[in-house]
Amino acid sequence: MKNSSKRYLPKRFTEVFPGLAARPKVRLLGVLIWAIVAADCVACSTLGAKPWEHDLLAERAMQLDAYPIETSMDDHIYFSKEASSGGRSFAGGGCGCN
Amino acid sequence: MQLKPKLVANRVRGGLAAAAAGLLASGHAKAQEAAAEAPATTVDSALLVYHEVNRVQAVEPVVNVSHKIDEDSTFDFGITADSLTGATPLGAVSSTLPQSYVRPYKVVPLGTPVTVTSASGGSTVVTVPPATGAKTETLAATTIVPPNTYPLDHGFSDRRVAGHLGWDQALTQNVKLDGGIAYSKEHDYRSESAHMGLSQDFNGHNTTLSGAVNYESDLSFPIGGTPTPLTQMNGDWKGPDATLHEIDALVGVTQVMSRRWLSTLSFSYSIAHGYQTDPYKLISVVDAVTGQPTEQLYESRPNLRRKESVFSDNKVHLGRDVISASLRAYEDDWGIKSLTADLRYRWQMSPVFYLEPHLRYYTQGAANFFHYYLVSDQAIPQYASSDTRLAKFHAPTYGGKFGVALNETSELNLRVEYYVQHGNGSPAGAIGQLQQQNLFPDLKAYTLLLGYTFAF
Repeated sequence: MKNSSKRYLPKRFTEVFPGLAARPKVRLLGVLIWAIVAADCVACSTLGAKPWEHDLLAERAMQLDAYPIETSMDDHIYFSKEASSGGRSFAGGGCGCN
Repeated sequence: MQLKPKLVANRVRGGLAAAAAGLLASGHAKAQEAAAEAPATTVDSALLVYHEVNRVQAVEPVVNVSHKIDEDSTFDFGITADSLTGATPLGAVSSTLPQSYVRPYKVVPLGTPVTVTSASGGSTVVTVPPATGAKTETLAATTIVPPNTYPLDHGFSDRRVAGHLGWDQALTQNVKLDGGIAYSKEHDYRSESAHMGLSQDFNGHNTTLSGAVNYESDLSFPIGGTPTPLTQMNGDWKGPDATLHEIDALVGVTQVMSRRWLSTLSFSYSIAHGYQTDPYKLISVVDAVTGQPTEQLYESRPNLRRKESVFSDNKVHLGRDVISASLRAYEDDWGIKSLTADLRYRWQMSPVFYLEPHLRYYTQGAANFFHYYLVSDQAIPQYASSDTRLAKFHAPTYGGKFGVALNETSELNLRVEYYVQHGNGSPAGAIGQLQQQNLFPDLKAYTLLLGYTFAF
């Protein structure tokens, strides 16, 4: 199975991203998230609100990204000052070196 | 000089939370909007003023415009400009003795008169002796750091312009596709990216499954060239430009738990390959007995980095007020693990005014190649960085936001926040004079954000 993923990816692609050609590392985090997602999907049929009950959910304050510029600025400030990034969305736009 | 604090680049609008929330609310919201003939265009604008105590200062205006073409299609674009000045840590340790730092500054034709004032931050310009037969010479800036002073580079000033374009398209009543591109440019760094996402609603718009990918290609062209990692600091012009490629993938599920509770959970994975070293950062090599710096080397980081994170966000409507709580767990193969908790309480004082206190807490472990310094009688490792952003630390943020609804389609808000980073400035086993130095001074930053949104 050594480097088996190379059979499915163009050589140039794996040269640019050698991490894709390496054997995937099974991490607890990944297992945990998929377990939670699966559990959530099973449960979701019993959760929720009727169409006429979406009034509060439609308010701006209830949107998950209600103030996108604010979120964007926060993400990049923290991206520039901390070692972690991502999670909520993709942080694009460069190195944030200092 | 460079220093790309890129304080605020465009966040690529590929976030699944936003896409999912839009879809989740779509069934009801669309009906409401149609009935009320909602405005087709929304303009979201903000001005950020960022102030770090004794370090970086930044001012950044942002404008995003979103236009609804029809019931199924939305086009958006945005532009950002920022201006940054101030000081940033060099990465070197403090000393009881004065220290001198040098960096290449400019290449000029041989014999060009040197103007001392051409360097910023109180540094002095010197000419690096050219090679025999050379037609150009390199100017370098030297800076003297006084004794017992944390070495900072005071000489940087940077401007950046960034923009993005995006498109959301509902393919069916339950499926939405979105995509976009982003571009960012400053005088020593360029970034280009593209993303695409797909989301599907289930259970009567109560559940959304989403997936998105992003590709980013960056080019670094530092002032003074790209130094060879772990070579000694000097004023010579360095190597060629360096590239970085990154692929990010994100999957998530958003669930309406009840009429008052919205919850989302996502998992993201990234692979970055290419130049990830900070070309301006140094790491000191100190004497094994006295702790005095004997050399300053350019830092070195791995070319490959794999990152993954789990993010959860919950919003609960209390009838008038709204609570938002999120949690993120992160780890990467540089050895960094972190946890981020964020809590906001939107106190809707009246239909017009709201006040939103905000508390964020972040904690991270150190990268496995982080060292405060290297020791002269020990082997130099393959990778080494003393950048405290790769160190173990914790950082609370305290903030508050005040908003005013000017009418049904516009809002003005003002947010003030204070961020402080606490690390270990006196690590165990510090050598000699390093025991009396603060190797991780607190970083303190204030942000003021003025936002204005209107629709027409």
